Amino acid sequence: MRKISLFVLPLILFAGLAIFLFQGLFSNPREHESTLLNKPVPSFVLPDLMNTDLTYTTEVFVGNVTLLNVWGVWCVTCAVEIPFLEQLKNEGKHIVGLYYDQDIDPDFGIKTVERVQQEVEQKLGQLGDPYAYNIFDVKRDLSLDLGVTGAPETFLIDKQGKVRLHHIGDINPRVWQNKFESVYQELIAE
Amino acid sequence: MIRFKTLILVLLTVLSTSILASEETYQFETDAQSALFFELTKELRCPMCQNQNIADSDAMIAADLRRKVYQLVNEGQSREQIIDYMKQRYGDFVYYQPPVNATTVWLWLLPAFFVCFGIVFVVRSRQQKPVSQDETKLQAAEKLLEEDK
Repeated sequence: MRKISLFVLPLILFAGLAIFLFQGLFSNPREHESTLLNKPVPSFVLPDLMNTDLTYTTEVFVGNVTLLNVWGVWCVTCAVEIPFLEQLKNEGKHIVGLYYDQDIDPDFGIKTVERVQQEVEQKLGQLGDPYAYNIFDVKRDLSLDLGVTGAPETFLIDKQGKVRLHHIGDINPRVWQNKFESVYQELIAE
Repeated sequence: MIRFKTLILVLLTVLSTSILASEETYQFETDAQSALFFELTKELRCPMCQNQNIADSDAMIAADLRRKVYQLVNEGQSREQIIDYMKQRYGDFVYYQPPVNATTVWLWLLPAFFVCFGIVFVVRSRQQKPVSQDETKLQAAEKLLEEDK
């Protein structure tokens, strides 16, 4: 009896440890559940990137299933992602950009809006423009309220303006297939 | 030569001040607020870079969080209010002290369990009686010794 337990106990401990570590191989340390899931998008009043006289509030999400894509011209992965987003747009998906600039210091802004617009126009001219419009997160406040950690990140927002999915990192065909497709179809059907 | 060295020295001084100038400086009305700010930026975790607090991290998100902490501290919010504000947006992940719940309770239970297990193991092995003598084996050994003589 003693001998068996001396053999089995370490084996069980080892198996447990092995399973724990094996799972760790496939977990993404950057991924953590969004606290906003199934909650409405936090309120905001922000200008349109290209026409700053135009302002948006959470109202803009009502009645449409929206992909809110956080991006910036300075973000390398965003440039990789944009052609695929354009493909999604051509399939009829409603994609809105949440634009924020790295070089604008909220306390001592050093970059003019015109300069930002120019850069964006140039970038989207090269890569294609998947966005219905871009919300300009001037002081990155909405990003902070949304729990954005960097760019690119994408939120799937339902017709009531609630966040249903928060993806950190780029969207590519694999991510779309595994993570977005089924939820998106569900939301469209709602 | 001396002139050249002086020139380099002057250049280095100029450069180093410009680097200092790019660091953020936050001013507080009271010492308590400043202390709270430094305490919180050490305890809040950068959501982007995993194992750095927001005081150490150079990521933009860390800078934004520091700015937010500063803003909230200046508004007179308490330590708990600010931590809650951050948790609401970035989850429990953002604060280095995890809450006790069904998944995290093992962080406290497992070490306690191992300590108990160890104590029981040590106590038991001490109590163990010396291996009982086998009479027949003893006799056989005696015999061998006899034969050797």
